[in-house]
Amino acid sequence: MKRRRRTEILIQENGQLAQELAETIIDAYECKEILAPQYGLTMIKMRESAKKSLFYIGEVLITEAKVEINNCIGLGIVVGMEDELAKHLAIIDAAYKAKLPETITWRNQLIEAEKQIIKEHAKKQAELFKTKVNFETMEI
Amino acid sequence: MGYVPVKGGTQAIDASIKRLKYERLKGNETIEIHTIMSTMRGMIDQVMSESSLYSPFLAALAIKQAEGSMEEAVFLMRAHRSTLPRPYYSKTVEPEAMLVERRISASFKDIPGGQLLGATHDYTHRLLDFDLIGESSESIQQWLNNYQMELQQVETFDEVKYFPKVVDYLREEGLFEKYEENNTAPKDITKQSLQFPSTRSERLQVLTRGQTGAVTSLGYASLRGYGQVHPNVGEVRVGAVPIYVGHPNEMEHDTDEDFYIGDIKVTEVESFVPTQVKNANNEYELQFEIGYGICYGQNETKAIAMSILDQCLEHPEADFPTHDEEFVLLHIDSVESTGFISHLKLPHYVTFQSRLDSVRQVKKEVQEVEN
Repeated sequence: MKRRRRTEILIQENGQLAQELAETIIDAYECKEILAPQYGLTMIKMRESAKKSLFYIGEVLITEAKVEINNCIGLGIVVGMEDELAKHLAIIDAAYKAKLPETITWRNQLIEAEKQIIKEHAKKQAELFKTKVNFETMEI
Repeated sequence: MGYVPVKGGTQAIDASIKRLKYERLKGNETIEIHTIMSTMRGMIDQVMSESSLYSPFLAALAIKQAEGSMEEAVFLMRAHRSTLPRPYYSKTVEPEAMLVERRISASFKDIPGGQLLGATHDYTHRLLDFDLIGESSESIQQWLNNYQMELQQVETFDEVKYFPKVVDYLREEGLFEKYEENNTAPKDITKQSLQFPSTRSERLQVLTRGQTGAVTSLGYASLRGYGQVHPNVGEVRVGAVPIYVGHPNEMEHDTDEDFYIGDIKVTEVESFVPTQVKNANNEYELQFEIGYGICYGQNETKAIAMSILDQCLEHPEADFPTHDEEFVLLHIDSVESTGFISHLKLPHYVTFQSRLDSVRQVKKEVQEVEN
């Protein structure tokens, strides 16, 4: 599974799956910490919808970590102060880069978690639809 | 009279800082960061927006340390921001990707996808709720349980819905000009000081991190006649937008290999402003332009005011202060304006002595002439 989809699932899930997957790698391989979780900023570039130009809305606090497995460096980046999650994401990223066999078996777990996330988002949105306005045209 | 340099006050300053802590603690009460995060949503959003740093946790900490002073909290956040590295720039965030939790239009009753009120103070009576005085954990839990029970009856969707922009339909009708995507790299005012004339990217960056009160006041001034923009709000939307970052070292630029790093909540506004434009026959005709406003968190007044000022600054008119980019952009930043105003209370002994000397000298000369 490609990184974009994978990181969407692992971050939007509550971090438990990332911990679970990372632990299977920690138990079986040497994980060298290249960069301990540290805080930093990401500048956010946006497209405005009036003239479709680009601008910077501001910065967001992130935590990043780097881990090396089998000479492959994995990177974990997440919004907020999330030391553990950043480290787990870095381990998982390194595992994919090193093409470890475990990553093949993760696919089903990730897809299941993705289904659950979509279900939760859809449920939250359906709940918000209780505030949708139904206009009635009045007769004068 | 000669000037005498002085030093001192260290002990008094130490004692003053201790006194400040005493004022925060003397009630023998504390407020947890998570309590601030859970209960002071509007304040956190405002601090994040004005400091231009998205972190609800740090904003809550700043509010606690500043004892609720907005200007102090924003100052703390900006100061902290300057201590952090900035290793990444995000990929372009497209606002259409927003997971909308509130979306209204003041221009059209029927908008594709419908109007979603979400959570808003707009329809409350604005009467003080004295029941909140006795609110307890038990009563909160009871209310939450009842609300959850109510929500269980809601029919769930199969998938998440993404809302099209109202303006896209009007563009299809030819009522608004269509623009191609402009991918010119934006300027960053945190890296390079603002120079005039400014670029659109610089103006939007300054406006979005402007002080809420200042942005609102200047937007209001434009409506009252100190400007020439009085828009209709086309769409206000509040929701979460996803942030993606490319790998810093990988040579391949496959967007599927980007990092998703999380969401941020924003308020986005498109205001419709009627303008006269010349057509191919050199005749004036009425067209609409869009004023754009956006800010961190849910702060609709600021985003609407920003959309007014964006449109004002797109049309520089010397007669109106709100159309003057130097006037607007140099006076709306919280840290710059509160910092400059409050520096006046710091010692200016030499400056003032010099002024006194001048006045004394003038008076003496006048007296000599009169004599």
